[in-house]
Formats: sequence, C-alpha cells, structure tokens
Amino acid sequence: MTAPLLSEIDLGDPTLFERAEAHEAFEVLRREDPVHWNPGTEELNGFWSLTKYEDVLFISRHPELFISSKGIAGSGLRHPEQYPGNTVSGDASIITMDPPRHVKMRRLVNKGFTPRAVEAMEPQIRRIAGDILDRIEGRSSCDFVLEVASQLPLAVICGMLGLEEKHWPILFEFTNSVLGARDPEYQADVPEDERGTVDAAQRTGIIGRERMMGFFGEVLERRRREPTDDLVSILLESEVDGEKLTEGDVLAFCFLLILAGNETTRNAISGGLLALCEHPAERARLQADMSLIDPAVEEILRWTSPLHHMAREATADVEIRGRQIRAGEKAIMWYPSANRDEEVFRDPSRFNITRSPNEHLAFGIGEHFCLGSGFARKEIKVMFEELFRRFPAIELDGTPERLRSNFINGIKHMPVRL
Amino acid sequence: MKVQVNLDMCEGHGRCAQAAPQVFALSDNDQSEVLLEDVPADLVEQVNHAIRVCPRQAIAWLEDA
Repeated sequence: MTAPLLSEIDLGDPTLFERAEAHEAFEVLRREDPVHWNPGTEELNGFWSLTKYEDVLFISRHPELFISSKGIAGSGLRHPEQYPGNTVSGDASIITMDPPRHVKMRRLVNKGFTPRAVEAMEPQIRRIAGDILDRIEGRSSCDFVLEVASQLPLAVICGMLGLEEKHWPILFEFTNSVLGARDPEYQADVPEDERGTVDAAQRTGIIGRERMMGFFGEVLERRRREPTDDLVSILLESEVDGEKLTEGDVLAFCFLLILAGNETTRNAISGGLLALCEHPAERARLQADMSLIDPAVEEILRWTSPLHHMAREATADVEIRGRQIRAGEKAIMWYPSANRDEEVFRDPSRFNITRSPNEHLAFGIGEHFCLGSGFARKEIKVMFEELFRRFPAIELDGTPERLRSNFINGIKHMPVRL
Repeated sequence: MKVQVNLDMCEGHGRCAQAAPQVFALSDNDQSEVLLEDVPADLVEQVNHAIRVCPRQAIAWLEDA
C-alpha cells in the first residue's frame, strides 16, 4: 500500500491495527512528525504520539513527569461520566500506580518472577507445552491461537494463582472481553446492531471486568479459609507500610496478573509463528539450528511488539523535539514504532532471527518494565522448541484474523495445517 | 567514577553482568552486586552500556558529593 498522509493518520482508530497497516503510519510519523498531536474524536480525547525509540526511553525513565495512575490504555473518554462502571469497580493495580507505592507493591510478588524462579518452572512449562501439543497430535489442522498459543500462558499464570483447570476457559473469555472490548467478536453482551462502537466497547469492558472481579472475589474467600502457597495467598498475607493489602488491592493485583499473564504472550507466540511462516528463509535457519532460539525469541518480541502502546499523563509542561506537551495531556508511547526506529535498528523492516544488538522495548523499560518478561521469554522459547520438534512442517492454512485494538497486538484466529 | 545499583529497583535480570562482568555480578539473592565501585577508565564504556540496557533503569553513576 502507499504511505498514508500525515494529516490522515489516526492512531486512535483500532481498525488501522486490525488491518495491519499501522507500520506504514508509524514510518510517516517517525520521519515527518515524531512527537505528533493526534486529535481526538467526539468520544475519545486527543493525545501525543511518541514514535521514536529515544523518546519512548525518555518518557519511561521519568515516571514522575509521565504518570500511569490516570490510565495506561488509550487516551481516555471525553465523557467518562457516561460510564459509571469505569470508576466504581476499581482500586489501582501496579500497572496504573506511580512511585513510590508502585515499587513497594511490586516487591510483594517479584520474587516469583526472578530469573531463578523462571528457571525452576521450566520443566513444568515444558510439560504443559507437551500436553497442549498432545491434544492436536493426529489432527490435520487447528486454530493455532485457540488451541495452542493461548493455552500455555493461560495455564502458567493460572497455575501461579492456584486456579483449577476447569476455570481456565472462563478466564480466557473474561480476558477477551476486557482487553478485546473494542472488537465486535467479543461484544456478545451488546445487541448485534450496536456492536463496533466506543459505547459497545465500554460496556463490554465493564461487564468483563465485573465478571472477573466476581470470580476472584470468590477465590479470595476460599484462600482466606484455606491458605495455600500460591500468589493469591501471598498477596492476602502481604503488608505495605505496615498495613495489610485491602480486598480491592488484592483483587486489582489478580486482575492484572491474569490479563497480563495470558494475553500478551499468547500474541507473541501466534505472531511469532506468523512471522516465521512469512519469512521461510529465517524459519529454515532456525529449524536447522534450534540453538538460535534465544535471539529468535528476541526478534519475535521486537517484530510483534505484543503491546502496541502504553499511555502516560504529563504532570508538568515538557518539551520534546520542539513540541510542547502540557501538564494534563496524554502521551502515548508506540512500542512497535520504537522497535523499528531506523536510528536504532539496522534494516528495521527485516525479520532477522540473529539480529544483534537487539535492545527492543517490547517489555517497556524502567519503573514499569514488564514483571513477567522472564516467563514470557521462557514460554515463547519452550513453545517453539516443542512445536518444531513435533510439527516441523506446520504451515498457515488461511488468513489470520487480527484483533481490533490499538492497545493489544492480538491475533484472534490463525488456521494452521499440521 | 563510582557506580551504584538501586536495589529497590533491581530485579536480577543480569544484563549488567553481561555488559560489564568485571563490575557487576548477580548475587545469591537474585540482585545485582557491584564488584568494582570505582570504575577504571577502560570499563566506563561497558558500564554506560549496562546503564542503558538495564531493564529497570536501576544503575547510575554516583554524583560527586
């Protein structure tokens, strides 16, 4: 396709990402207006788009100037009062928390996510991957997203939270309605002729959140009666500044862990297989020498950038590249763009499984660096090792269906031939 | 030049120990340990790289008091 005109680019439009056309827009933005004011709509606020690697670094390194507590996904609604469910059901989780409380809360759980903890879990992760692949053994085709990619991260995070397997499918559903709220496929609770609107997305997200909170409310009840050694029980026992966490704190934490734990890695695995199928020479190189898996995982992360963005709100007037960002305005960091910045990555539009250096920002950096990055890397690595061992000829069998979202770089369905 | 690691931030990703192995190591409790607080001139570049790649941005040069 031809490059879009700067004046026509709207990164607030989730269908741009559904059509997989965002990279053309990012290229124009990086070249012509790297700190760009993206006007809002009647429903959504305008925002600054930051598309250069160095600028994403700058914002990430200044969590006091660019705060998370006013929302991290999108630019926000112009009329939030129309959706009271947005505000009544929520304590903050660490992803929407600022220093100094952010670090204190994060430290309650980060022992469970260290490189050592991840290594200790590897045999279990490999066993789960094996079980998933057992279930498609003997079949000629499957939906790679639903039957393979989504299953591993879901099982791992549910295991860490001590959730029984019978509940996993419903948690997958809740996750889709919260994080896929703008996609009509997940708006089943909204009448068909109203789907696809911002209003439908708000209602879908609120319903998903309430169902998820209801589910975890019951889990907390059970753990209080019978504590175990899972993350939920640890959180219930935890204190910050001498005070026990509230019910709302623990619920928000569980909500974040289940969403972040199962959505992003799913998309890295699906997007990774898609990238490998679309670049057969790179795929052949990897399958001929699986010792290249570590740099290949890094390139998959750079290439897919499972999260399109994180939003921040400026607490003071800040000038970046001659543009004035005013206190109270939203600044959005676009990771897929930073990860293809020509000034940082040589030949950035080439998928190269042995790229070095490869200091991508797929997990963010600094204060809010992805807590689960170690698990994500391990799950992607183990899945591709096991997948190519068991199904070396796996191929696409149709067009993947992308999620309508400018937040999650999701693939909803991806038919494959085994 | 002196370097320091903010242990409130460090989560033991070990990137500093890869970037500047003579200056940083991972301790038994999964955090970065500074082996050589006074960084010799020939290792400054490596430490600057460690500062840049630390996922938690936990490493900084100590300002001269």
